[in-house]
Amino acid sequence: MNYQPDRSKYPAKKADGTLDIDLTSGKYLKLWHGPNHPGITGNMSVELTVCGDEVVEGKVHVGYLHRGFEKLMERRSFIQCFPIVCRICVPEPDFNEYCYAAAIEELSGVVVPERAHWIRTMILEMGRINSYLMYLGGQAGALGQGVIGQWTTYVRDLMLDRFEELTGARIYHMFILPGGVRDDLPEGFKDRLEATLKEVDAVLKDVYDVMFKNAVFKRRSIGVGYIDPAWVDEYGITGPNARAAGVAKDVRKDQPYLVYDQLDFEPVVDHGSDIYTRADVRRRDVAMSVDLLRQILAKMPNEGPVMAKLPNVLHWQIPRGETYIRGECSRGEYGFYLVTDGSRFPRRVNVRGPSYTHAMTLLERMIVNTNISDIAALMVSLHTYPPEIER
Amino acid sequence: MHKLYENLGKIIPLGEMTLQRANLAFITLDRRYLRSALHHLRDVEGYSHLVLLTAVDWLEEDVFQLTYLLSNRTADMDVGLRVMLPRENASMDSIHDIWPTAATYQRELREMFGIDFPGSPRVNEEFILEGWQEIPPYRRDFDTKKYSEENFAHREGRVTKDPASHMKELLYPDRGQ
Amino acid sequence: MSVQDVLSPFKAWKNLFRDPVTIADPINDRPGAARYRGFHQNDLDKCIGCGTCEEICQNGAIDMVEAVKIEQAEGDSGLRPRIDYGRCCWCALCVDVCMTGSLTMSNAYTWVDADPEEFRFTPGVDKKDWDDAELGYHRPEGLHLTPMTRVEMQEMEPGERVGNFDEIVCGYSVGEALVEADRCVSCGLCVATCPAHMAIPDYIAAIRDQDYEHGLEMLYDTNPFSQVCGRVCTHKCEDACSVGHEGEPIAIRWLKRHITENVPREKYMDIIGGTADGTGKKIAIIGAGPAGLTTAFDLVKMGHNITVFEAQSGPGGMARYGIPEYRMPYDDLDHEVSIITEMGVDIRYNMRVGKDIPMDQLRQDYDAVLLSIGLHVGRSTRIKGTEHKDVLKAVDLLRDITNGIKVKVPKKVVVIGGGNVAMDIARSMARLQKQKYGKVDLTVTALEDLQHFMADPEEVKEAGEEGIEIFDARGPQEIVLTKGGRISGLRTWKVISIFDDQGRFAPSYDEADEMLHKANMVIEAIGQASDVSLLGEELTEALDWNRGRLSVDAEGRTSQSWLWAAGDCVHGPDIIHAVADGHVVADSINAALNEQEEADAKD
Repeated sequence: MNYQPDRSKYPAKKADGTLDIDLTSGKYLKLWHGPNHPGITGNMSVELTVCGDEVVEGKVHVGYLHRGFEKLMERRSFIQCFPIVCRICVPEPDFNEYCYAAAIEELSGVVVPERAHWIRTMILEMGRINSYLMYLGGQAGALGQGVIGQWTTYVRDLMLDRFEELTGARIYHMFILPGGVRDDLPEGFKDRLEATLKEVDAVLKDVYDVMFKNAVFKRRSIGVGYIDPAWVDEYGITGPNARAAGVAKDVRKDQPYLVYDQLDFEPVVDHGSDIYTRADVRRRDVAMSVDLLRQILAKMPNEGPVMAKLPNVLHWQIPRGETYIRGECSRGEYGFYLVTDGSRFPRRVNVRGPSYTHAMTLLERMIVNTNISDIAALMVSLHTYPPEIER
Repeated sequence: MHKLYENLGKIIPLGEMTLQRANLAFITLDRRYLRSALHHLRDVEGYSHLVLLTAVDWLEEDVFQLTYLLSNRTADMDVGLRVMLPRENASMDSIHDIWPTAATYQRELREMFGIDFPGSPRVNEEFILEGWQEIPPYRRDFDTKKYSEENFAHREGRVTKDPASHMKELLYPDRGQ
Repeated sequence: MSVQDVLSPFKAWKNLFRDPVTIADPINDRPGAARYRGFHQNDLDKCIGCGTCEEICQNGAIDMVEAVKIEQAEGDSGLRPRIDYGRCCWCALCVDVCMTGSLTMSNAYTWVDADPEEFRFTPGVDKKDWDDAELGYHRPEGLHLTPMTRVEMQEMEPGERVGNFDEIVCGYSVGEALVEADRCVSCGLCVATCPAHMAIPDYIAAIRDQDYEHGLEMLYDTNPFSQVCGRVCTHKCEDACSVGHEGEPIAIRWLKRHITENVPREKYMDIIGGTADGTGKKIAIIGAGPAGLTTAFDLVKMGHNITVFEAQSGPGGMARYGIPEYRMPYDDLDHEVSIITEMGVDIRYNMRVGKDIPMDQLRQDYDAVLLSIGLHVGRSTRIKGTEHKDVLKAVDLLRDITNGIKVKVPKKVVVIGGGNVAMDIARSMARLQKQKYGKVDLTVTALEDLQHFMADPEEVKEAGEEGIEIFDARGPQEIVLTKGGRISGLRTWKVISIFDDQGRFAPSYDEADEMLHKANMVIEAIGQASDVSLLGEELTEALDWNRGRLSVDAEGRTSQSWLWAAGDCVHGPDIIHAVADGHVVADSINAALNEQEEADAKD
């Protein structure tokens, strides 16, 4: 059901294209949505100008999570950068490690052993499930359904237990380093992971029954937050946001990296392009990830080294060059642009997080004409993680 | 990739191309031809997705390198356009009319590198930093260590010894060297 | 809006019948996983204080602090890492790079304390309750952040090399040297172990930077015999190398040689040369070996006038007359010495002090005299038969071979001794045998068992490859003669032990296990002594002695104020020790002469 705005309330457009908003007229109110708000996945804020309960203008403010990684990495040697990249995106840290390692490997010529590719893929998929579980909790929570978040956080915790026994840490794994992965799977890991995947299956079923086949959720999300397929290129939209608008692009399928070319899957695409469709695409993505993980566990070679022989990392110099490595994370296209200059330090590392394009100009465009009560759901449905916007 | 270089080269003069992978190439070109190149790539060659716009500070060569990374979603190819700008009073034409999302990248470059994009929406507004007084921080001449030492408290009691010097002090202090 | 959509959410109610998932007592019931990166542990005995953990830490969380007493503990700096948990991010790169595997992490993750200073601690020194935890993060097998295997040095094949005296070791190519130099972590523990304290990590870094001239400058700063040591040094530095604990030590000796080979000879003087203004002081040095010539090198740089008296016809001492050409080519040795003579040192060959010029003359004509006469007199077992003319000392035979004298090369030879000199003479004779007869028939017997041979393991291995038969743990009893008075062989008994329970030299034998090693010639290589006859009766009486060797103080000065002694003749056989001695003595002589100068000026 599409929301029909009452155009008589709207401010006129001035000659230079900006809106003629007279804050003293009593017609408009400025509200801050954020930076601490249950309706955002992280720390960012939107400065809203509302007329009644309808937004006429929104300005996104970021910067609450700027830690200056790109500048920090210029002072650290290549191996020293490896422990800090995972912190760039907090809820799905492994992608940073993978993209950074792959960029270094490409520019320096290090060849990663086969088994390491499989373990890396497994970790990325596990991370993807975690990220989606957090999203589902957030999406339901934004519309007032607290119970979904409780369930998904619990299953996410079980998956974090798997990470803990594999990598040695729960959130910042620091496990994928240039050359391979740090260690092999522990004894019995495959069985325990399978047990966790069964839990994921179970919670997905519950989430579907309680959240998706839910009159309130449907009423509030179907037809809301429409992304026009034409915007996909203009605003650089990638990932489930684009796929829910009908643009069938999944980096794992189109530019297969790691072992995705040996796995059997089809990207999840839909056409509704509203909050409900995006949530549904992500839900089906989780099911696909679970299936991919089962394939990986079955097809992984049983033995083999997991780490290449590195030169002395204390004085590792990489000749001048630049590259861009991309991958499909849970939110869209994640990429590392790495420039080296022949010294021991990277010249420039630029992290392209998918939320960079989703949460800024796109959100500012989408938020106009929405009702205040829909803003939280809208923001979460874009699945933005602010840490990757300002790094 | 070479075909693309050829085709693009017919319209505008191009600098060198670096073929990084089969599906990724970097082409250097002069700033005057950037917008034409972008239009050609987007409308004719199908590079409709602007992946990123970032800058690299080559302090020793006194230039900023702007990298416009474009992607052809159907053919799954990427091309990076490199534009060199002098570091002094760096400014470049905005491309927010071609890709609205470029406004965010340009805002960040203005704040972090000091590269101006006249006409880009909200380009002079603070983006990530708040109340920043120093030079744009992503520039190579901004010394983060010095900034940190001047502005933040040090933990007292740090002392570290170099193994070789320590052993010399203890075991053979009077030998020259 | 279907009815299903209204009713379906009630499925959530099934969770009413589910147990809570929260862990009631996480501190006790929730230990970290087996690989969890928790709090640090450090095995203080294994740790050598190399500081590589400090270097890799990207948070600057680790400082190396004094923790353990070191006297002359080889390869241990006595420092231990202190970690600031306010900075640490528990990435475990320090554990991965640890050269000895002493730094590990436990799986403990809870630590509560009211004092913030407690959180900067030295693991192992500051006792914590997770010190004995078995679980936790340890460096995974197969993960090495620095390369652990040495680049193999190419050598001539045994078949190729046994017929000639060509140099066996080929030296590193630039590519090989770069890979080997890359392995060094610049900890600097080797510097203290090297008797001459050469700037090893710095010159290895010069190879990485391909700045050979700077490398050569650093070499000759501490060692004017770098070309020699780059081939034959006993490389104690490599034993102290931190990489040697979990991998193979850096090939420091070969890298040193590599630098010397990659600077054109014409450039050596430009880089090394240069003397101070003449002081007018004259110093006599007896013996043009490593000790004597190093002293000469140092003193001539300080501006003094040096004359070296060498009894033989060529320079180098043991390096020339003891070490065979296949290990130390004469050409390279001559170049080494030529630098020293080019700086202005005058070497007078064929001048034996005590015979061609009396000691007293030196005492009168020179302001200081250095005795660096080496150990050129071979010892004898003095078993029955050693008086025979075909029983020779290794030292004498090696000298003759070096001088190009045609020595007697019999078909069968036995060498008594298990040290480097024994290997040198054995392998030299083997070559001569191969050249004369086309085959090698040479036996080596030694008191020690193979594991405890005094010789370098490489020498023993190469000797075996060249066809030499080694009988270890055998004690020589008699040299058996034929009726015609020629040597028929060496009779040996099996050795049970070499030292008695008080540690004195008193070998005990198993007389039932007797062997006769057939030979036409027996060569004794069981030790050497100095020929101190040059001192003369009076001086010998006046000097202090220590167990047969001249007694010197820490600066190399004897009890006679004008006489110093250095090198093998005071400290035992080792070239790098001789070089180190040379430096000490040169400083001492220089200081003494300056003192005298000042004293004279006052008068």
